[in-house]
Amino acid sequence: MTKSDDLAQIIIGCKNKDSKCFSQVVDMYASRCYGYFYRLTGNNDLSDELLSELFAKLVEKIGSYKGGSFEGWLFKIASNIFHDYLRGKQRRKKLLDVQKKQIESRITGPKQSDNEQIDKLQIQLRKLDTDTRELIMLRFYSQLSFKEIAVIRSEPIGTTLAKLHRGLKKLRELMER
Amino acid sequence: MNGRNDENLKELFEKFLDAEQAESCAEDVQKAEQILREHPAPEPDDMLIANIKAEIAMRLPAGRTYVFKQIAYKVVGIAAAVIILTAIGLRLFDKGGVEPNGGVQYASIIPTAIWESDDITAADVNLATFTVEIEQIENELLALQLGEDDGNGDSSITELEMELIEINNSDFWKG
Repeated sequence: MTKSDDLAQIIIGCKNKDSKCFSQVVDMYASRCYGYFYRLTGNNDLSDELLSELFAKLVEKIGSYKGGSFEGWLFKIASNIFHDYLRGKQRRKKLLDVQKKQIESRITGPKQSDNEQIDKLQIQLRKLDTDTRELIMLRFYSQLSFKEIAVIRSEPIGTTLAKLHRGLKKLRELMER
Repeated sequence: MNGRNDENLKELFEKFLDAEQAESCAEDVQKAEQILREHPAPEPDDMLIANIKAEIAMRLPAGRTYVFKQIAYKVVGIAAAVIILTAIGLRLFDKGGVEPNGGVQYASIIPTAIWESDDITAADVNLATFTVEIEQIENELLALQLGEDDGNGDSSITELEMELIEINNSDFWKG
């Protein structure tokens, strides 16, 4: 049985409300979806919250999945959740608080460690605009093709390619400074 | 993220750029994505994963109720549609359906006296008269149903009623 056959069986199980199948989906995608949210928010607590919301939506919406790329479908929900989060005033306030803490920690001069290496990427990612950052993370964590990403974003593939190239080039320059 | 899709980036960029530019762009993308691979995001906490799974398990019974409700609504909807269609069908069938066999219809209302009469000649005459009467009434009823009366519906109905009373009062029924 191929990987896609396995996934198809798991999705059928999910549609039949089998909790074991949902657990399998969580095991398969939690890490990537968490990475996607973490890189977009830069905050563990928010990422926890968004990931929980994503899987709650998955349970709610699995019946509307009509085939095609499951990852594309799942990351479309993840993207919508992120946009909802951006729109929420309360959450925006939390983000501002997080940014404030980060600025304060930068002023106090943190020591270099493995965690700081992770933070370096996070800090540079913040210098990109939200849309570009989201595009880069969608591409990286969803592992979707450019064509699929263009469909999710409802834009021509040429636009997606150009934005992603520009964003990644800038990120690379920022990281190599 | 080593399981990246197998797109040929250079080929993809070549659809929009010349070969040299496409190669450079593909290289930019690959190098930047290598940086992302070298800086993995933190993994979700095990406790978080356990909580998510528990929450899913809690949500599922509610999901079943929801599915049950959906099925119940569908069944009620289908039943209503079947009843309406049946009613419409029966109405249409009544109007344009097959006419019942005239002979059998007549036989059911022929007086018992005629059936039991030993006088075949007299019975034949009575039967012929009776049949003509019924046919006349039937034609008048049909004319009424089709609205082919002379515009004075009340008089036609009265005439019909008179004929029925006359038949009822005559000795004809007694054979």
